[in-house]
Amino acid sequence: MKPRKDLLTIGSLSDEDIHTILDSAKAMKDIFTKSVKKVPALKGKSVLTLFYEPSTRTRSSFEVAAHRLSADVTTFTVGTSSVVKGESVHDTIDTLMSMKMDYIIVRHKNSGIPAVIARHCKAAVINAGDGAHAHPSQAFLDAFTIREKFGTVAGRRVVIIGDILHSRVARSTCCILQRLGAEVAYMGPGSLVPPREHCGVPVFRDWDEVFSWKPHVIYLLRVQNERIDTPFFPAADYHRAFGVTEERLKIIDDCDAAIMHPGPVNRGVEICDAAMDYRNCLVCNQVENGIAARMSILYHLTPQTQNHE
Amino acid sequence: MNKTYLTNVTLTDGSRRDVCLGGSASGCGDSPWPGIKLREPIRCTPAGEMSIPNGARHIDAAGKLLMPALFDLHAKVEIAGCSKRESVMRTGQAAQQGGVWGMLVMPTPGFCFDNSDKLDSFRDMVLHRSAAEMLPAGCISIGMQGEQQAPYNTLMARGVSILSDAGRMPHSLLMLHRAMKYAASTGYTFAMAGDVPELTRNTYMHPGTTSYRLGLHGTPACAEEIGLETIIRLAKDAGAKLHVQTVSTAGGVDIIRRAKAAGCSVTAEVALHHLLFTHEAVGDYDTTFKTLPPLRDRADCEALIAGVKDGTIDCIVSDHTPCIPFAKKQDFITAPQGMVMLDTMLPAIYTHLVKPGLLSWVDVVRACCVNPLHVIAPESMEDDEEGISRGVPLLLFDPTVCSSVTADTLPCGTLNSPFLGQELCGAVTLPI
Repeated sequence: MKPRKDLLTIGSLSDEDIHTILDSAKAMKDIFTKSVKKVPALKGKSVLTLFYEPSTRTRSSFEVAAHRLSADVTTFTVGTSSVVKGESVHDTIDTLMSMKMDYIIVRHKNSGIPAVIARHCKAAVINAGDGAHAHPSQAFLDAFTIREKFGTVAGRRVVIIGDILHSRVARSTCCILQRLGAEVAYMGPGSLVPPREHCGVPVFRDWDEVFSWKPHVIYLLRVQNERIDTPFFPAADYHRAFGVTEERLKIIDDCDAAIMHPGPVNRGVEICDAAMDYRNCLVCNQVENGIAARMSILYHLTPQTQNHE
Repeated sequence: MNKTYLTNVTLTDGSRRDVCLGGSASGCGDSPWPGIKLREPIRCTPAGEMSIPNGARHIDAAGKLLMPALFDLHAKVEIAGCSKRESVMRTGQAAQQGGVWGMLVMPTPGFCFDNSDKLDSFRDMVLHRSAAEMLPAGCISIGMQGEQQAPYNTLMARGVSILSDAGRMPHSLLMLHRAMKYAASTGYTFAMAGDVPELTRNTYMHPGTTSYRLGLHGTPACAEEIGLETIIRLAKDAGAKLHVQTVSTAGGVDIIRRAKAAGCSVTAEVALHHLLFTHEAVGDYDTTFKTLPPLRDRADCEALIAGVKDGTIDCIVSDHTPCIPFAKKQDFITAPQGMVMLDTMLPAIYTHLVKPGLLSWVDVVRACCVNPLHVIAPESMEDDEEGISRGVPLLLFDPTVCSSVTADTLPCGTLNSPFLGQELCGAVTLPI
């Protein structure tokens, strides 16, 4: 894989890059079973997590990943920083770069912010989710999880269900799965699923269409209430219309399909309790694989911070 | 007055002429551009037939085009971080370079034309600093807040003939309706863009493949079209003249076509960038292409060009909006809307519309020189020696000169030009 400074989107990666990162993730996961769960790959490097939006799993996943590679991790807490005083992203980054960071892991509610930061600094920038745009590390862990479960991604049928419009996970995961040869379709409330001519992905209206497509993976998205100012759908109907109910779980079980979810899960909305305990529910595998995928991403990026002034 | 002789010059109808500019108006015959009051008398003969007195100023204009300079109905001059005087000066230089001799200046927070003091100080600045004529558009509401009507009679006494809250739709349609009823009798024209603010809140570009890929919420075309229907009906009911600003959708062109056919007193403009670019130009969050309304589909561009050709759209405007480089360096959602266009106006029209055969020079003169002046109704203005009543100057355009647009060739000084780094054909000589 050619040296690359940043990971902003899946679309910016070559097929070789994608395969290299996925293959290394497997090697990284093998480290987890050793008695010493740490390798010195990034010893002496400094990693900064810069999360403008609340996050527990992505942030801690990146932090654990960085620790396992022996990097030093600094957490920038936006809520108690100058950002609340109106500091621009550029000025925040200038301040942080004076501290000679090698990797910046950034999440922001505005689409496109990581690209602005990446252009502005020499550190390797990893997009940990920007608005409704991209979440490439999630895409890697999803692809890795599907590959682990099915042996290969190519030829699998994956239906992503829920709030596609606001979902960076849908965009990035769809992109990587298609690149790896999977078929992807969308389903969700009409106001939250872009038309096929915009997204280029088949759009199903309901579960009947989903089941007749015989998907291997049912990928559920969280209803992102924090992004919804004016209601997009009648909330009381969501579980019945688009959630995995106990009846639908039986059909999923019969088809031997897997259930995935990027978390955090709204039980009783997109998924019933029983589905969380379903034998093919991969939610916990996703969390574990997230650390391996993020270790692999950190390992393969090359900051341009050597000898920087 | 000194005479200037141009030989072998091409006129906008394609004919080759020898031309004498200046001198007395008697014996000049018909102007090649009826409907425009020219600043200097013009006398034309077929090429090679004009006798040029010894010592007279003579320009061999073979291969060059003679046309009236452009009047731009929609420009903002305020440059953030610059003094007002400097903003006016730089915008004036930009306009002159782009072949624009005069413009209607939209109110902005720094140039909020809602009382006579602000108009007077602006007029002074223009008189002393600007190379181009600048007429202010008065505010519809005080501070453009959409609540209390501005003092229309006071504004009119200072020569204001167009009212606009910079394209924004007021919160209250009732306020607007009453403003239209009040101002209708005074002959004001209301310049507004169609919008339903509730539908376009938190939206950043045209909904389509690019907005999906970038994860940005789309501005639905129907918001502009519903807004258009609304303001057209309000103006019709109130008996006011309406000038529709920056139409961007094919549906909007249809609505205006129908309104004109039904006899409504409505004129319309399109921003040059809406004829040239689509939403795909945003590429990977290129904030230069963030505009209001957003850049639309190819089909919309084609409908807008067809609208200009058939006269549904009266004017092509610059929608010149200077944004300082730092502002445009921010992320797409935070960055301000708008691009600068005056600096490159006529070369851009030539390179991207006339040269490919999409518009003729006759269309350009109609949409950029004749119609804008009819919309601002210069005949209602007092006849002074300064300003618009002096008449329209002519310019020489050399289509053979091509040059790259760089930071050094943008007099307005902000770099949010969509042509930065590109080559444009045509060089403007204004004044001749």
